[in-house]
Amino acid sequence: MNVWLKASGLCRHYRRGPQEVRAVDNFDLEMRRGEFLALVGSSGSGKSTLLNMLAGLDTPTAGTIEIEGTALSTMNRRELAAYRAHRVGMVFQAFNLIPHQTALRNVEMALFFNRTPVKDRRSRAIEILERLGLSGRIDHRPGDLSGGEQQRVAIARALVKKPDILFADEPTGNLDRENAAQIATLMSQLNREGLTVVVATHDLHMMQEHAHRIVRMDYGRFAGETVLPAGIGAGS
Amino acid sequence: MTFRDLVAGSTGNLWRMKLRSFLTISGVVIAIAAFVSMLSFGAGMQKNVTEQYNRLGLFSTMQVYPPDKSKPADSVGRPAILDREALRKLAAVPGVQLAYPFDAFSVTVTVGDTTLSSTAQSLPEAAIQTKFYSQTVAGTLFTGDSANQALVTEDLMTALHIKNPDSLVGQRIIVSAKLSSLDSGVAHVFRGMPDRLRERFQQIRRDSLEYVEYWSRLGRQEANAALSRFMDGFLNARSVVCDTLTISGVLEGRPHGRASIKPIVIPAGRAARFRAGGFSDDPTELLASLRSGTLFGSTDDARGKEYPHITLSLDPNVAYEPIRDSVKAMGFRTFSYAEEFKEIRKFFFYFKLGLSVVGLIALVTASLGIVNTMVMSIIERTREIGILKSLGAEERDIRVLFLAESGMIGSIGAAAGIVFGWLITRVAAVIARAFMEKEGIPRFELFDLPLWLILTAFLFGLLVSLVAGLYPAARAARVDPVEALRNE
Ligand SMILES: Nc1ncnc2c1ncn2[C@@H]1O[C@H](COP(=O)(O)OP(=O)(O)O)[C@@H](O)[C@H]1O
Ligand SMILES: [Mg+2]
Repeated sequence: MNVWLKASGLCRHYRRGPQEVRAVDNFDLEMRRGEFLALVGSSGSGKSTLLNMLAGLDTPTAGTIEIEGTALSTMNRRELAAYRAHRVGMVFQAFNLIPHQTALRNVEMALFFNRTPVKDRRSRAIEILERLGLSGRIDHRPGDLSGGEQQRVAIARALVKKPDILFADEPTGNLDRENAAQIATLMSQLNREGLTVVVATHDLHMMQEHAHRIVRMDYGRFAGETVLPAGIGAGS
Repeated sequence: MTFRDLVAGSTGNLWRMKLRSFLTISGVVIAIAAFVSMLSFGAGMQKNVTEQYNRLGLFSTMQVYPPDKSKPADSVGRPAILDREALRKLAAVPGVQLAYPFDAFSVTVTVGDTTLSSTAQSLPEAAIQTKFYSQTVAGTLFTGDSANQALVTEDLMTALHIKNPDSLVGQRIIVSAKLSSLDSGVAHVFRGMPDRLRERFQQIRRDSLEYVEYWSRLGRQEANAALSRFMDGFLNARSVVCDTLTISGVLEGRPHGRASIKPIVIPAGRAARFRAGGFSDDPTELLASLRSGTLFGSTDDARGKEYPHITLSLDPNVAYEPIRDSVKAMGFRTFSYAEEFKEIRKFFFYFKLGLSVVGLIALVTASLGIVNTMVMSIIERTREIGILKSLGAEERDIRVLFLAESGMIGSIGAAAGIVFGWLITRVAAVIARAFMEKEGIPRFELFDLPLWLILTAFLFGLLVSLVAGLYPAARAARVDPVEALRNE
């Protein structure tokens, strides 16, 4: 297997008074480029914490994360910011759009920090919004959009920078079945176009038909994995 | 992020929180308006003084006074005297273009039907041409040292109850002065002397003649009587010199201070007849001539006359210090307007500094408002900061973003404050003008708003707001994105 992303011995411990909370505990993970990975586990099992560390937003207490052989721990804060700005797209359960900005502005915002020429920003944002079927919603504010639309704007924001990898933290958690299914299909489609995707979810059924592999988490630890039919021979 | 992104973003954010932004910006507006209006006042006053100095050519004017009599002369020999000889020497000092004495005397003037007592001053033609004197409000200056012309000032105009200076130009003015002479005093001593002597002789008590005391008393009586007669004659039986002149122009009134002008100015050559010989009835002048031993100078010899002060017109392109030093070396005291102006400049520096401090205190108060607003806004926008960080914003980006916002508060506040401050000065100027008009004070502009003040005010506003934004911005940059984006 051609390992593209590798986490080994990953720990994220929190000290809460005399107690130690092991949000992620000695976790190992290897991924190929182009893989679609579903991370499942009950609430509080450490999925979000793991994604945040992989996205360079959180720092592990122990262990390493390597992307194409480069350890995130060797990067300073600016390099980590650049890593997020150029290579990582993130999607959240709560959408996390900026409420007082239009859909277009929200998407454009992702290009503020990765040296995209000002003149290209708008066209790229419009292009991706149109691709996700939001051409009529460009000037809407998040409050005027449905949940599914909001999440598609959020995905557009994650994609506009043309990232290498998409981390989605329970992207369908706030959506009804129909919208959730749409989002899942969209991700699968993006994955087929070459995007590496990691989706954290507790809705196993939703991802089962799209994901290549399912990794289970329990109390921050690795609790087994399943390679699905779609995953056999997929990715590179 | 580009500068435009920052400006657009921060104005957008301020616009969203209209009331809060308005209140915070108002604090800055008030502070900057106070700063601008107060400093505008300081600058206006300084500009007035400077313009006045320039107008009167004061920067190239120096006055020379006799040495301080209360201090013992350190040099051997007689103390320096401001006489003709001194005038000649002063005129020869390099850099001195003109030296002329101050020479004033009491006169009675008649213009039309009005006669009044006043003071005249004689000036050479060259002196009347200097900026110091040549400030006419009507007519022209006199045209020569012996022209039968005179200049009067607005002060005389007021004394004559004349409103329109132009109506005085071309009018005749009769100037007369009483001259006390030695002759008139002596004549009075001897007038009626034989009769008085006979009378006195009859009063003498012959039986007391043996006593020395009686003789000396008689002598004292006689001497006192003679002296009192002399003074009577001296003061009353003076001869009157009279001249009829044409008023060529009216000078602006300057009744007080070192730059004052006497109500009537007569060409030096023409004034000589009032000045020849006789005694002045100005007590200080009288004493001066007593001291200098020139009280009984002959009629046509004014060489020994001592002047109260001499004015020097300097070459404006020459530094005044060396001239001052050479005049001092001659034993005189000097007064230099340029030097005085240095003091005035110093005063204005501290004056403006004081005003700035008041303005800055207001600005500091306003900056606390900015800190408060920014901290509030950061607390409300923690999630937004987390989002930006997840999108790849560096700490520096976040800091710049929030500094731009506080800078925007400062810029808007400063710009509006400058306009508002200017409006305050306009309103104050209108009120002041009405007051001046009512009180008959000549109008002058109280305020000045030079470019440096506008720029300083704007930069101060911007700077203070940026400083106020430092802490909130640092706090925003420190926001933990994981914490900020957590679902709960
Ligand atoms: N800042 C924190 N301090 C203490 N405990 C934390 C903190 N963040 C997360 N945790 C704990 O870590 C565990 C994993 O949380 P999380 O990664 O959010 O789980 P999941 O996303 O799978 O629901 C939870 O028990 C949570 O309470
Ligand atoms: Mg979670």
